[in-house]
Amino acid sequence: MTAVESPARGAGAGGAAGGGGAAGGGSAGRRVLALAESPGLGGLYARAGLASGRAAVGGPVRRALGGVPGIPAGPGDEGPRAAPALPPVEHRLGGVVPDPARLTAYQHLVGEPASDVLPAGFVHVLAFPVGIALIVRPDFPMPPLGIVHLANRVEQRSPLRVGDALDIRAWAEDLRPHRKGAQVELVAEVRRAGAPADGPAAWRGVSTYLAPGVRVPGAVPEEVARPEFEAPVPTGRWAFDAGAGRRYAAVSGDANPIHLHPLTARALGFPRAIAHGMLTAARALADVGARRGESYDWDVEFASPVLLPSTPVVRVAPAGDRAWSVTAWDAKRRRPHLTAEVRARA
Amino acid sequence: MAATPSSPPAPTTGAPRAVVVGGNRIPFARAGGPYARVSNLDMLTAALDGLVARFGLQDEVLGEVVAGAVLKHSRDFNLTREAVLGSPLSARTPAYDLQQACATGLEAVVSIANKIRLGQVESGVAGGVDSASDVPIAVSEGLRRTLLTLSRARTVPQRLKAAAALRPGDLKPATPRTDEPRTGLSMGEHQAFTTAQWGISRQAQDEIAFASHQRLAAAYEAGFFDDLVTPYRGLVRDQNLRADTSLEKLGKLKPVFGTRLDTPATMTAGNSTPLTDGASTVLLASEGWAQARGLTPLAAVVDAETAAVDFVHGEDGLLMAPVYAVPRLLARQGLGLGDLDYVEIHEAFASTVLTTLAAWEDKEFCLSRLGLDDALGTVDRERLNVHGSSLAAGHPFAATGGRIVASVAKTLHRRRAELLAAGEDRPVRALVSVCAAGGLGVAAILEAV
Amino acid sequence: MGGDTYLDLVNSGFTAKVAKQLGLPRPARLRRYRAGAPLVDGPVLVLGEGGDADTLAQFLSGTSPEHKGWDLDVRRHAGEGTRFAAVVLALTDVAHPRDLAEPLLTLAPVLRTLAPGGRVVTVSRAPSPDQAPALAAARQGVDGALRSIAKELRAGATGNGVVLADDVPVTAPAVLGALRFLLSARSAYVDGQLLPVDSAAGALPADWERPLEGRVAVVTGAARGIGEAIATTLARDGATVVAVDVPAAGEALAAVANRVRGTALQLDVTADDAGGRILEHALGRHGRLDVMVHNAGITRDKLLANMTPDRWESVIAVNIAAQLRINEALLTSGDFTDAPRIVSLASTSGIAGNRGQSNYAASKGGVIGMVQATAPLLAAFGGTANAVAPGFIETEMTARMPAVTRQVARRLSSLQQGGLPVDVAEAVAFLASPQAGGVVGQVLRVCGQSMVGR
Repeated sequence: MTAVESPARGAGAGGAAGGGGAAGGGSAGRRVLALAESPGLGGLYARAGLASGRAAVGGPVRRALGGVPGIPAGPGDEGPRAAPALPPVEHRLGGVVPDPARLTAYQHLVGEPASDVLPAGFVHVLAFPVGIALIVRPDFPMPPLGIVHLANRVEQRSPLRVGDALDIRAWAEDLRPHRKGAQVELVAEVRRAGAPADGPAAWRGVSTYLAPGVRVPGAVPEEVARPEFEAPVPTGRWAFDAGAGRRYAAVSGDANPIHLHPLTARALGFPRAIAHGMLTAARALADVGARRGESYDWDVEFASPVLLPSTPVVRVAPAGDRAWSVTAWDAKRRRPHLTAEVRARA
Repeated sequence: MAATPSSPPAPTTGAPRAVVVGGNRIPFARAGGPYARVSNLDMLTAALDGLVARFGLQDEVLGEVVAGAVLKHSRDFNLTREAVLGSPLSARTPAYDLQQACATGLEAVVSIANKIRLGQVESGVAGGVDSASDVPIAVSEGLRRTLLTLSRARTVPQRLKAAAALRPGDLKPATPRTDEPRTGLSMGEHQAFTTAQWGISRQAQDEIAFASHQRLAAAYEAGFFDDLVTPYRGLVRDQNLRADTSLEKLGKLKPVFGTRLDTPATMTAGNSTPLTDGASTVLLASEGWAQARGLTPLAAVVDAETAAVDFVHGEDGLLMAPVYAVPRLLARQGLGLGDLDYVEIHEAFASTVLTTLAAWEDKEFCLSRLGLDDALGTVDRERLNVHGSSLAAGHPFAATGGRIVASVAKTLHRRRAELLAAGEDRPVRALVSVCAAGGLGVAAILEAV
Repeated sequence: MGGDTYLDLVNSGFTAKVAKQLGLPRPARLRRYRAGAPLVDGPVLVLGEGGDADTLAQFLSGTSPEHKGWDLDVRRHAGEGTRFAAVVLALTDVAHPRDLAEPLLTLAPVLRTLAPGGRVVTVSRAPSPDQAPALAAARQGVDGALRSIAKELRAGATGNGVVLADDVPVTAPAVLGALRFLLSARSAYVDGQLLPVDSAAGALPADWERPLEGRVAVVTGAARGIGEAIATTLARDGATVVAVDVPAAGEALAAVANRVRGTALQLDVTADDAGGRILEHALGRHGRLDVMVHNAGITRDKLLANMTPDRWESVIAVNIAAQLRINEALLTSGDFTDAPRIVSLASTSGIAGNRGQSNYAASKGGVIGMVQATAPLLAAFGGTANAVAPGFIETEMTARMPAVTRQVARRLSSLQQGGLPVDVAEAVAFLASPQAGGVVGQVLRVCGQSMVGR
């Protein structure tokens, strides 16, 4: 990966550091790191392993994941460490042109029609390495391996299509304490190349990650009592075979070993390989289907991982005007995997 | 039940009526049974042969033959036309394939009836066939892609590269599924949800199944099917028929669908249709065409309506589309449920019939979902599936519509003759309703001639 | 069908030579109908004195001033070295047994050179008790002589006779029709039979190849075997065929109906309304009903000592009671009145009896009684009722006989072989034809002159 660091040029972006920031570009205080090409994720994971080792975060990852829903707890968390801060940097990658063959493979995999409009999940796939490249920085205050994807919010404000060259920006923000460690928002924005840098992004995604066991300053939020999950009447079922993780890895580039094989997953503390959260989220979006239109909001909360192979049941239901909720759960254990909401934008 | 006018609107003047002249089917066999080694083409041709023999249609040029199959081999791209070419009909009889899942047969009837009414054809055969035994097996996606790449490769290195992409797992074949592609659920699972939602009891479902077997067996005993069914491959009656079944026997079967719901599972192999092989055909014509050949019209195809429901987004049950189609059809014809002498509701599952009836009896549902101002009403069980239906006969998907239409047309004609003999001259009507995969439903009204 | 392997062996190559040297019975391949083949394969000798002999000779040769004949090569004298295909003996004028000498002794040398598949047909008049004893003796003498000659013929040749009532001219349609049938390949397995012609009723067909043109015929038990052959043969002769069989036989029935371009009617003939449904179908679909062929039949063999009620009753129900009920429906319908024909399948068992077949023989004997009594009821409409009694016919039924019994049964006839379903069908087709109108209440045996029975 080659990178050129330069001071942020995002004009008028001073107050836009928050999650709702509409202005494009690094906020004041964030340096812009222009990537010359999309980071190869395989290399990132290799580096992530090193980074984890170097930072000595969490010891065995199994232990690091203790207490996360669905993951067996390991014995004893390690004590708190020095409270770190987010690196004041924004990654940028310009002129990304999606490969139509890869798009088609993605669409077929998640159950989207192979239209020329990029599904929001595919844009996430394009933006993901740019954001992950932040996490594997030595100065990032979390271990790249072992972080948990808690939620994902995407605003697809206007459609992106095959042939569009895309400019991608990513930064991290809102590092705060979580009951089980620290959580952070990884924000990515995608604009059509040539679109005003200070105009609204066509696509904006916010991924919430938890780093178990990491301590950061601030008040730990109270645990909100979750209501007992009541399985609704299903409307469908997803069938994920043992290779689902490998196939999504091939098309998304996210070859995190926990998704690839029972052995690699076990080495990282999971009984079996688990499905990428964004694969399940993409299935939920695909289930809502064409009626969402080309512009929509797509929010997902991950409750427990989907172990592979498995066949979670799903309910898609109307949730107000041009809005739908999608719930996926393990029918046998009556445990939810995810809830998603898709709202068409006016 | 909502009040309805006593007579239907006057028919469009000058438009010819499309009449059902008769039908022929082969007995339906259980999957893996006597038809295990025959193809859809074989069965459709056999059904067509019997129809031609029954009505002396050898060398006839019919207006059209329309049929289809739900589970279809790619080699059968012109299935119906091939069946015509293999039959004693004139080779100059055109044909096309139609597929609307389980409604294929009924939709084929409606399509031909419409062309007859428009004067585009004078006669036609509607049909359907399905084999749950001789199903297509596809190679895996990986092998298929490799083979396609190989066929395009020009050089040896290209071929080697293509072949090298093959993985051992790719050699596993892919069997066809009738699960809903969008939900990944089987029809039985979908119906189990609807059954639970409407609170349909096990007992009520078993009673429907029991009646189906009883009535079908009685019809066979009475010779009702002598001019509707032609034996095939040694099978003389529908193989699934259990004349000796009882509510006790049905009550002992273990539930197979809806076993993971909070409510008790009620759907068993006894009150669900089994996988079946079979084919059916229906001869339709204008009255003039029938008359010229000394053929007796049995019933006219009056009108039809197709509906669809959104089961993907949780609005309705998968098989509930007929619930919507029927009130629209009745309203257009100015009829109510009470104006129907016979009601044929395809028994995909006993609970499909029961949820359909329950919805029509539910005022709140009829008001909010069907846009009626009252409940649609109650169907008299004595008029429902009078000669048994799919639970007893079996259900080779595309063949069911033809089975029902031919049987009900004969029933209508008989009833009308009985009434006339008793000095009662009034219209005798039947409703036919078939639910289908994809949230589809087709309904049609037939009237005795 | 069983297939007569022995017949094949003695008629081909090396095995034929061996059979000849061993003096084994050598059944011939019979001459059977082929479209376009001549009526007879060579010159026809007409023997006999008097006007009837001349009239027949003229008709056969096509030189009759009144009738369009058959253009056969007719000779009146047995020339030296002529190989005749057929001999017609006009014996209507015999008045005393002495009178038989000349024609029969003239026939004698001709028989030695009779062509394979040749025909000897006598045309004589019926004896009766009210005749002069010498006349009756002469006429009955023809019967004995013909049956004996038939047994002497070889190489598939047959001997049969037409027996005219006194008031029936030799040019009556049924006489010419029967003569033609017996000369032709259609009568391949009819041998040693004397067929009475009791009236001048009937009509010569416009086309001898399609005598049933425009006629609608119902054949029961048409799905296979003899019934299938009857349906096929009637259709060949121009009839529109309604093929009837039990619903369980529907698949084969449909195939037959489609092949003969007719219609299939799945019907249990024992149903109460069978006659009505047959009428409804024939009239509805085809506008008329002219020929009713009662072929459907079953066997439930058991020695009477072991007979069960259901075996007895089912055979009676199908083989005769159903026919009686259907005939009644036809006769009372008012729609079976245009020179209608009833042809019913009897059996040599019904004539001679057969061990283990008391039920079957009762039904088939019943058929004979039925047609004799039904024929007068149809006479007013120019109609007839007759029976055909097959002997050993190669069918699925006889193929199930024990092998030795089957071989013996085959050789127990003058033709030393079993007949084929088509042989029965040809006899049925003849009796169904318009030219057979003068044959009423008769039983025509198709048995190769089986030694069983009369």
